[in-house]
Amino acid sequence: MSGISRRRFLAASVAGCAATTLAGPKKALAAGSFTGYPDGMGVLVDLTRCIGCRSCEAACNKEQNLPAPDKSFDDKSVFDETFHGGKQKRRPDENAYTVVNRYNPDGSDPLYRKVQCNHCNEPACLSSCFVNAYTKTKEGAVVYNPNVCVGCRNCLVACPFGIPGYSYSSAFDPVVKKCIFCHETRLKNGLPPACVDVCPQEALTFGKRKELIKIGHQRIQTHPGRYVNHLYGENELGGTSWMYLSPVNFDEVGFDPNPGNEPIINNVKDFLGTVPMVLAIWPAMFTGFHLLAKKREHDKNNQDTEKQHGEEGGDQ
Amino acid sequence: MKSLIGWGSKPVDSHVNEKTDQQWSLFRKLMLGLTPGQYLGQALRNPFNWILGIIFAIGLPLIAYRFIFGLSAVTHASNDYPWGLFLGFGLFTMVPLSASGFMLGTAVEIFGRHDFEPIERLALLNGLLGYLFAVIYLLVDLGQPWRLPYPMVVSFGPAAVLFLVAWHVATYLSVQVAEVSVSFFEWIGWLGGKRFIRRIALGLTVSGIILSTLHQGALGALFNYAPGKVHPLWYSGSFQWIFFFCSSIPAGLSMVIAVSTVVKKTMAWRCDDNFKENLDRCTLGLAKGASLALITYLAIKLIGVAHDNEWGYLATGWGAWFLFEMAVGVVLPIILFAYAIRHQVVAIARVGAFVTIFGIVLNRLNTTLIVFNWNLYQEIPHIFEVIIAVTLFAVYVVVYRFILYRLPIIFSWKEQPQEALAAEAARPAPIKTSNAPIGAMYRKID
Amino acid sequence: MSAKQIVMTLMMLAIVAASSLVLAAEMPERASLDSMAVLFEGVEFDHAMHIDLGEDCSTCHHHTTGTGTTNERCIRCHADSDEVATVGCRDCHLDNPFSAENINREALDRYQFHIDTPGLKAAYHWNCVGCHEEMDGPTDCQDCHARTLEGDEFYHKNASATGKSGH
Repeated sequence: MSGISRRRFLAASVAGCAATTLAGPKKALAAGSFTGYPDGMGVLVDLTRCIGCRSCEAACNKEQNLPAPDKSFDDKSVFDETFHGGKQKRRPDENAYTVVNRYNPDGSDPLYRKVQCNHCNEPACLSSCFVNAYTKTKEGAVVYNPNVCVGCRNCLVACPFGIPGYSYSSAFDPVVKKCIFCHETRLKNGLPPACVDVCPQEALTFGKRKELIKIGHQRIQTHPGRYVNHLYGENELGGTSWMYLSPVNFDEVGFDPNPGNEPIINNVKDFLGTVPMVLAIWPAMFTGFHLLAKKREHDKNNQDTEKQHGEEGGDQ
Repeated sequence: MKSLIGWGSKPVDSHVNEKTDQQWSLFRKLMLGLTPGQYLGQALRNPFNWILGIIFAIGLPLIAYRFIFGLSAVTHASNDYPWGLFLGFGLFTMVPLSASGFMLGTAVEIFGRHDFEPIERLALLNGLLGYLFAVIYLLVDLGQPWRLPYPMVVSFGPAAVLFLVAWHVATYLSVQVAEVSVSFFEWIGWLGGKRFIRRIALGLTVSGIILSTLHQGALGALFNYAPGKVHPLWYSGSFQWIFFFCSSIPAGLSMVIAVSTVVKKTMAWRCDDNFKENLDRCTLGLAKGASLALITYLAIKLIGVAHDNEWGYLATGWGAWFLFEMAVGVVLPIILFAYAIRHQVVAIARVGAFVTIFGIVLNRLNTTLIVFNWNLYQEIPHIFEVIIAVTLFAVYVVVYRFILYRLPIIFSWKEQPQEALAAEAARPAPIKTSNAPIGAMYRKID
Repeated sequence: MSAKQIVMTLMMLAIVAASSLVLAAEMPERASLDSMAVLFEGVEFDHAMHIDLGEDCSTCHHHTTGTGTTNERCIRCHADSDEVATVGCRDCHLDNPFSAENINREALDRYQFHIDTPGLKAAYHWNCVGCHEEMDGPTDCQDCHARTLEGDEFYHKNASATGKSGH
């Protein structure tokens, strides 16, 4: 092997190592699992209590200074709205961080389900964001920093609950719009979010997440027959700060009945784990291939010495 | 152009005008050695330019419209389908179709397959332009495109797959610029730059493989963020990134075959004999590579179905769609390539390449748009979105053609040996980097 | 402003402070439930009329007064409970159940059984509306308490009437 080849080998390896260091934090952050801050707050939504008054929507609209609605918040006709050929009910978007939908499982009395950000313990939006625009605060809220958002909308793709909306209509300052648990105005000051405050039925119970889990199970236990025996969000997708109790199976009221208990980030850990390996191994491996190929070529050239191949400025 | 050549014009392929024995000016080089009048004349005579003109007349104002009035003016502004055609086609499809750069780079520079050299530069350029336009599509799609450098300089989300994509595509784009710049340096006549790039070619190629492996795969891994949204047949928790990486190999190779086919048909005047004579042989060689990669891809797709036990889905409507994609996009090209290689029929290999490209486009559009939200509803892209996507592709074609016409990609640049030696002598004695005769660097020009 | 938002609730009702002091000793004929009224007027509650309708005090007052509770879960502990000194709803049901103070107290008290006591607003609505539904009493919001102007604004009353709202 000539000196030049050796130097090239080293150069390629150094390049690889530099790239590996660059990729270092990826692996570090992909490790471990997080089950929520110890004093993180949450909300327990009890579908048996909700009467579909939409006051929470109105409170959210006022608290977050959202645009005025097309229909007044006491207009129940919104429950009949469906989209995309009847396949979809209302969902949160840039104009509404929370919506209430009506379901009639088995033609029985209607059930109402409030939809908003569930504030995951390990949020998919957060883990998919390449500018770190999302933060899970110690109070339990998943908040968003519009000042760094590039607008790739990977968070919209990643969110398993279909929550974040994008203000597509803005040409110069489009941002992600989602429920932030009233973090700035209320939560961090020890106050419940506006929707909880306004709810006449206490369908929304605000408290420490770990207490809410106890309360949820206690309700199931003390009211036999009222609930299905499941606290949705206790474990789903790594656990969420907002959890639900329902009198019917969750798929009958629009939930994904089986999203799994793994947080979304676990799905990409395998791949992220291979990154440093590729960065470290490829340079050596392919430089090695190259040297093998050169050796063969070199031997061949020696046999018929006429033609010298000047690849890479020539090798001997 | 063809007719001009018929009248005695000769496209620029050296620094010196052979008729007058004078150096071409940069302007005349840009004009392909024609006078502005001649150049305009030939451009207007080409019906393809009129088609492009119509596309631009509609599409370019729409692009301006998008930037003035926001994304909701040209797309359905869907929160359920955040990624439409701009990314579904522009990013997720253009990137695999541009895997050619690193594939041919690896074959030639690493494995020493110098028999592919006649087509290497085309493959490198194809890679560069594909990535460049993937980024351009991205810029059109991003809500705040002026913040594109943010993941590099302002705020880091290093645990995100997209962070890796951003860094790697940016780095790889630079690598490809460097790789293709050899042609540019020849064209402007700056040999020092060329020498420098040739010297670091191995490093560039190796970083190209690393970066390509990772970001081709990362594009697949992006869908691991949406396990419930992509239909199980197109989703694999463990193998998604390998599917995307593996399928990018036949995609890139087939794209080179397809582009070279178009080049041969539409700009034969620009190809030199070396390119024309070797193209058929290279095409079959690429076809061989593509078919092997396709067979591997087919195998791992089947493993994917078996691994997640998704056989039941095959009997559904989505299963039929999946089988269609596999049959037309993978199995059919395998058969075509196999036939072409066995019977040495280049035309069949070319058909196979186009079918492969169709298969890749279908696969990526399936994953991003069609089977995405399979249990929700189907988003049909806004007509303006389609027009803008087509317009950007037309810009891509124009830029591609512009470069192929000028830079020595499909033809060799005729150096003046004395000039080169003089330039060399004028430089301070180089640090001992190469003990090969300088002439060896111009081996392709003899 | 935020203090106001705490009490900004729908159908806000409250017992007057004085009524609770006298309840133990004597039953009020009427009660004005209006201390939290913001979006809706307070309720003028006709206690005497409801006494006539109700079977016994425990229907509304649980174990705290009168005949005592018959709920099988409650009587385990409260079968022999004495009447308590103050029986107004808000003596047990807080008008700000989710205050930091209350949440922290509940979280710290490991022996507390009633960790899920509804707040005052919910207590009223459950008790009143639940019974009204059974007895065919009025159940629409404004049957009991008229919406205030602030409430009209809060619900964007005019949005539906004008089609597109003014933005």
